[in-house]
Amino acid sequence: MSREKVKIFPLVLSTGLISCVATALMAWVFLITEKPIAAAQQMKNTAALSQVLPAFDNQPTQEAATFGSVTFYAARKNGQITGFAGETVTTKGYAGEVSILAGLKPDGTITTVLVTKQSETPGLGTVVCERIRKKTLSGLLAGKKETGLPPNRILDQFNGMKTEAGQTPWAVKKDGGNLDAVTGATITSRAVGGAVFAIAETFARNREQLLKEKNQ
Amino acid sequence: MSLFKELTKGIIRENPTFVLMLGMCPTLAVTNNAINGCSMGLATLFVLAGSNMVISLIRNVVPSKVRIPCYVVVIAAFVTVVDLLMQAYAPAAIYQALGIFIPLIVVNCIVLGRAEAFACKNGILASIADGIGMGLGFTLSLTVIGGIREFLSTGSLFEIKLIEGWTHSFMLMGQAPGGFILLGILLALINWNNQRKAKKAGRLWSPPGLDCRQCNLCDLGKN
Repeated sequence: MSREKVKIFPLVLSTGLISCVATALMAWVFLITEKPIAAAQQMKNTAALSQVLPAFDNQPTQEAATFGSVTFYAARKNGQITGFAGETVTTKGYAGEVSILAGLKPDGTITTVLVTKQSETPGLGTVVCERIRKKTLSGLLAGKKETGLPPNRILDQFNGMKTEAGQTPWAVKKDGGNLDAVTGATITSRAVGGAVFAIAETFARNREQLLKEKNQ
Repeated sequence: MSLFKELTKGIIRENPTFVLMLGMCPTLAVTNNAINGCSMGLATLFVLAGSNMVISLIRNVVPSKVRIPCYVVVIAAFVTVVDLLMQAYAPAAIYQALGIFIPLIVVNCIVLGRAEAFACKNGILASIADGIGMGLGFTLSLTVIGGIREFLSTGSLFEIKLIEGWTHSFMLMGQAPGGFILLGILLALINWNNQRKAKKAGRLWSPPGLDCRQCNLCDLGKN
């Protein structure tokens, strides 16, 4: 019985050569896309921040302070603090993590709430989380252009709310509280409400320190 | 002329999704709306055209014993390039929706399938045409499935509401089971139509892909 003699060298050579060329190509593309990717990431971050904060001329991401699970970003205009954005992640949603970004006035009143990352059930949990501009055919034909933040019934109910340190958390109506929830998405509504309360409460507890630190 | 044929065959006659039945994973996973389906199709188109081109170029150099690993390396390189480019230049929402499926193009059967079945036997121009055609067919079918699912679940198409005041959403269609159900219905309709045509012309017709009549794993389909 004779076995066919396999010349291993050409096999190794061709595979190795192709791998080297492919790696070089990927390295080259990585180098040229490195900056645009960082810029896109940066833009994504500040885009969300500028939606919840009043007009600012500083870099809020560089003025971050973390208390527990909540990170605050300070916005200033001409050196004056105009507001804060609090960001937190909750795992109490229905599927995976839900990231919440809330804008706060310097006195702790909530101005805007955004969900920046979620993977909730489409059509149920996403109703709680998404702010989507509803384009309609007749609206498009009429050339209607809407600007500003698209509304969301659940997220907008937090606007103007405020809390003090040590208060009992806000609860959805099903749990005996005052918060509206989306039918069929109580868990997501609860998670969002809890996270927004955590931001507001953490802010109230650390308000003095935050203002003092950032006013230097 | 034949080059044009290579280009167009993938769109309808040998449509990768509905006729060749390849790449079912992305077909089902990302088609919950028309925009996602379309972008996934275009990303696959780019990978297909690129990998077909390179594989056709190296087809006489690569020993046949190691051709599959070499093809996978080429395809993976192209997918990485697409992934990086999309991260850099695609709208954030689209990258977020497709993100985890882009690396999976590497194992998409269409790409390796076309490399094995076409690019390693044909010239470079024909291979590029084949890749573009197959990519267009894939884009077309993904957009159609995504469009139907989006319309049924939210009453809109490409995120533009077609029916105003549509409030009751048929949420099943927006989720994974809806994808399976719709794909099954579409395949059944296409097969039914082809069978009807074949009967009229007096030809024999067997459905595409693997079905009970061609498989010997069990006795279920045996008469």
